[in-house]
Amino acid sequence: MSRLEAKKPSLCKSEPLTSEKVRATLCVLKGILTSSYGPSGRLKQVHNGLGGCVCTTSQSSALLSNLPVTHPILKILTTSTKNHVSCFSDCGLFTAILCCNLIENVQRTGLTPTTVIKLNQHLLRLCTNYLKSESCGCRIPVDFSSPQTLLCLVRSIVTSKPACMLTREETDHISALVLKAFLLTIPENTKDRLILGKSIIVPLKGHRVLDSTVFPGILIEVSEVQLMKILPIKKSNAFKVALFCASLSGDLSDTGEGTMVVSSGVSLENAVLEQLLNLGRQLVSDHVDLVMCQKVLHPSLKQFLSMHQVIAIDRVGVALMEPLSKVTGTQPIGSLGSISPSSYGSVKDLCPAKFGFKHFLHLIPNEATICSLLLCNRNDTAWDELKLTCQTALHVLQLTIKEPCVLLGGGCTETHLAAYIRHKISNRRTSAGKNHQLQVPAGKDVHCLSYKKWSIPAPQPMTSCHQPELLWFFSNGLLFKTILLDFLLLQKITLLCFVCWTCLWFC
Amino acid sequence: TLCTMAALGSAKAALQVTEVLETILSRCLGPEGRQVLCTKPTGEVLISRSGGCLLEALHLEHPIARMVVACVSSHLRRTGDGAKTFIILLCHLLRGLHTVIDKEQDSLISKNIQTHRRHWKNCCQWKFISQALLTFQTQILDYIMDHYLSKHFLCRSSLELLLEAYFCGRVGRNNHYFISQLMCNYFFKCMACESGFEEVFDLVDDYFVELNVGVTGLPVSDSRIIAGLVLHRDFSVYCPADGDIRIVIVTETIQPLFSASASEFILNSEAQFQTSQFWIMEKTKAIVKHLQSQNVKLLLSSVKQPDLVTYYAGLNGISVVECLSPEEVSLIQRVMGLSPFILPQASSQYEICNTASVKFCKPLTLRSKRYVHLGLISTCSFVPHCIVLCGPVQGLVEQHEGALHGAFKMLRQLFKDLDLSYMIQTSDQNHTSSPLTYKDSRESNPLPEIVNGLIQRPYQGTVVKNKGNLAKTQTYLKVYSNLVVPSVELETCIPCSTPKVTPTDTYQTNETLRCLAPTKTRTIDDNEPFIESNSANSTAENTGIEISSENLQVTKIAGKGNMLPVREKSLEMCTSQSYCCSTLPAGCVLPVGGNFEILLHYYLLNYTRKCQQSEESVVSMIIANALLGIPQVLYKSKKGKYSFPQIYIRTLHALQTSQPIVSSQKGLESVAGKYQLLTSVLQCLTKILTIDLVINIRRQPREMYDQDSDEEV
Repeated sequence: MSRLEAKKPSLCKSEPLTSEKVRATLCVLKGILTSSYGPSGRLKQVHNGLGGCVCTTSQSSALLSNLPVTHPILKILTTSTKNHVSCFSDCGLFTAILCCNLIENVQRTGLTPTTVIKLNQHLLRLCTNYLKSESCGCRIPVDFSSPQTLLCLVRSIVTSKPACMLTREETDHISALVLKAFLLTIPENTKDRLILGKSIIVPLKGHRVLDSTVFPGILIEVSEVQLMKILPIKKSNAFKVALFCASLSGDLSDTGEGTMVVSSGVSLENAVLEQLLNLGRQLVSDHVDLVMCQKVLHPSLKQFLSMHQVIAIDRVGVALMEPLSKVTGTQPIGSLGSISPSSYGSVKDLCPAKFGFKHFLHLIPNEATICSLLLCNRNDTAWDELKLTCQTALHVLQLTIKEPCVLLGGGCTETHLAAYIRHKISNRRTSAGKNHQLQVPAGKDVHCLSYKKWSIPAPQPMTSCHQPELLWFFSNGLLFKTILLDFLLLQKITLLCFVCWTCLWFC
Repeated sequence: TLCTMAALGSAKAALQVTEVLETILSRCLGPEGRQVLCTKPTGEVLISRSGGCLLEALHLEHPIARMVVACVSSHLRRTGDGAKTFIILLCHLLRGLHTVIDKEQDSLISKNIQTHRRHWKNCCQWKFISQALLTFQTQILDYIMDHYLSKHFLCRSSLELLLEAYFCGRVGRNNHYFISQLMCNYFFKCMACESGFEEVFDLVDDYFVELNVGVTGLPVSDSRIIAGLVLHRDFSVYCPADGDIRIVIVTETIQPLFSASASEFILNSEAQFQTSQFWIMEKTKAIVKHLQSQNVKLLLSSVKQPDLVTYYAGLNGISVVECLSPEEVSLIQRVMGLSPFILPQASSQYEICNTASVKFCKPLTLRSKRYVHLGLISTCSFVPHCIVLCGPVQGLVEQHEGALHGAFKMLRQLFKDLDLSYMIQTSDQNHTSSPLTYKDSRESNPLPEIVNGLIQRPYQGTVVKNKGNLAKTQTYLKVYSNLVVPSVELETCIPCSTPKVTPTDTYQTNETLRCLAPTKTRTIDDNEPFIESNSANSTAENTGIEISSENLQVTKIAGKGNMLPVREKSLEMCTSQSYCCSTLPAGCVLPVGGNFEILLHYYLLNYTRKCQQSEESVVSMIIANALLGIPQVLYKSKKGKYSFPQIYIRTLHALQTSQPIVSSQKGLESVAGKYQLLTSVLQCLTKILTIDLVINIRRQPREMYDQDSDEEV
């Protein structure tokens, strides 16, 4: 609900965006963002002066959503970054920093808005065309037959989030888990189009990161008391499952718009309960082993089912319904009457599990694309950060299927791209002469501008020890093994488009 | 305490208000216009270049401002274009009126005619003017459009050029080309045959919201066109199907309920309840089974269906989409010619079932949001397609949506015939009685001054004077010499197709004038003296051209001398009116860049010269000058050859020498849109001028019998 707004006349002011005030606010934002960028970026604590939890992070999505920006222009910048992140998960900080840099440099050159727009569009086209072309030196095709490239990709995402507080060993563990979780969501036999499954992240806070694991199937959290009732689970080859989406609480819904008159002595509750028990009888006679309900089960029905060794779990919630119906192969039942046998599904095995202080019922599927990632970290803040990181990594891995191409990280791609632009512009300057398509004051300016604009300070990992590797890479045009993989091609191109658009506001 | 506060004079207030609005909107006008950023106290940010959007976003308090905005909105709803031009034009008109009124009052004071002054004051000067405006709008404007302007119109309209020009003023500079291309492609994809394009415009305009999907977080260049219809919701149940997929639409729940509205269901026993529930279940099952037997694979419902229905539908391989909006339902009905499925009351009537086929029916995922994608088979000339509009932020997507919708509205108006009706040959003169003519002759003095004053404002120099006089003479000479003759005009123009226009050829041009007259039925005889005097008039002025510019003043006076007797004569003779109706053919366009405004300005100025009535000519003059405000804003940032004075002079020169007007811009704009805009502005102005007091009350208006407020005062 939007806040109530005091009625007052509008105030119009024409404030040039090149003013000192805007520049200063932009500078502050840039400072915040650049200092959190990269693996050795500093963490930010965002907290509310009135209380509440403190968010320790260096991730753009957490940072930008918690940071209250007041200036409308910054709002546009952060909103467009957030939208980019919600689409592509990663590279939020990079987008925002590049935006800030570009704006600053454009303002410094003092070109007219029309020129800047043309120039930006031209450079954008240059960059995207180059990145898309086969000749681009920073592109590496993803090799799905070996995990090396994908693992590199995940690792570079995990290492760039220092707020997860991971050691080297833990980083490796988490990266491997994420990759495993992703591979479990890929269906084994696909017909025409690939439909990826889902990884459900199950929280377990206060434990060692190395305790994190990934399981095929679904972990449903149950209370200890409930689990005791269920146990022992009889052994069988397959468990027959019924999944209800309709409420089994015995309430009477949908009686129509008119009135319903009930004569005295008639108990509708009994009538409905009778109906529920009939349903229970049918379930028992159909040899159903597990009954799950999205909503509430009537206690009597629950009792009845447990008497007949049928495991009953209710209040599953709408979020789990789709994965559950996928794992078990059931169709959610919406009827209290006769149930078609085709609606039942099955799971391969059903076993209780205990992780830390939490009890789970583990549904092991025959063959499904759903997996559960049990994620542990020492404290709440670090866990939140780790969860975001894992979601990001999983999303990025999904995107690799769309466009199986990655770019070199560690500032390689940016340096390379900047060099490419510089090369192009200088070529153009010598060959084109006066017939310049872009109306820019002088060739030299274009040269400086483009270089400054598109080069972004290389993030921290490119330390002196990486420098030789990098040079080697440039000279050989080959991939050196330890170079970080960073961005997906798709991501990068969209990112550049975004940056370009956002910067136009400052022209 | 005083309960009421009154503010006098709406025109003055209106001028102040519109001037404020003008300063905001004029910077968004034209291809060079910039975007405006509005912020709300709630933190929301609005990015826009669209005038309508900005006006509605402003929290305007002043009643006149609110009225103006309401006028703009209603104009936009109809035509989808011209909000910014509306405000700028209105502002210039009000400004023009003020200067004229001030001048007139001054001159009256200097002449010390107390009675007149009182007359002006008492007889509501504004009302006079507003009546004159109405006359102008209903008669003069149509006449000028039909007689003079229409020959400049181009009828070969290129959709690309039209749209490019339109989006130039509506969306950001880096996107306008892409968006206009997108819309062009969309239109051609939607059009089944050449003849059915009007239906496409109608349908897209009516159901625009349903035909586009906004996606945030992707660059604008990812926007695309998808064949088929995208419903803005997910399947409740999805069963993959191919082959012959039949669909039905329902508007009520399939499952029978215990009691319908306004009825009672009496329950006497538990068994009765159970049987009725059983019956409901069986009935639902039977209906779904029946649908399955009809090969129905998709059930579209405008209401939420109970769980039972979706369950049985899923069992029978029927996909279900629930909660469709009424617009979506009516769009599907219109495209497919499918009427909703009426639930059979008795079980025997199952055979009657309205179904239709779709090519495909599948889920569509756009940025992790799921939609329903239907391949409708169209029975009309609209082939359903959807636009997926992407943008980094929601505001930009909305801006593009608004612009696209506006463009469809604009095209819809453009491809409709525009009816013009007016009375030929100064029928107004019948309204004016002799005392007014008497007044006119005296008040004609300030008139030329205004002409010169207003024309000289934008630039200085000798060119102006030449122009003024040239314009005067060439009105008659040039008019029918233009080569572009729209079809409507053809019948009247055939006898005078190629007049040689040179300053000496005055008699020949008079011939053309006479040629024109006979077509207008019986007024020929009455008009004879009028034409004669015109010829006299023009000869006088033609000689004036040959004389050096110093002598121009003399000829002008001579011209005026000629004019006066004419007026008296025509007053006596033109007693009969004849109505003339003509149509501006659909698809008339003009090059962008203020061409329409300059042309209309030119012809209006000419018209005022031969016009006999003071109010009429004053009003025409004000409008003519106000029109120039638009190109002035458009060319504000241009320098040198493309500055406004240069372009203005060039255009006028071309008009006088009857050369084709060379426009520096390729884009085109709709004539009908401009015409409608002008009439809307004039209506709004008339509305403003008829108000004389703004009363600010602090409470709700009460019933008449309530005496309390009076006593308090």
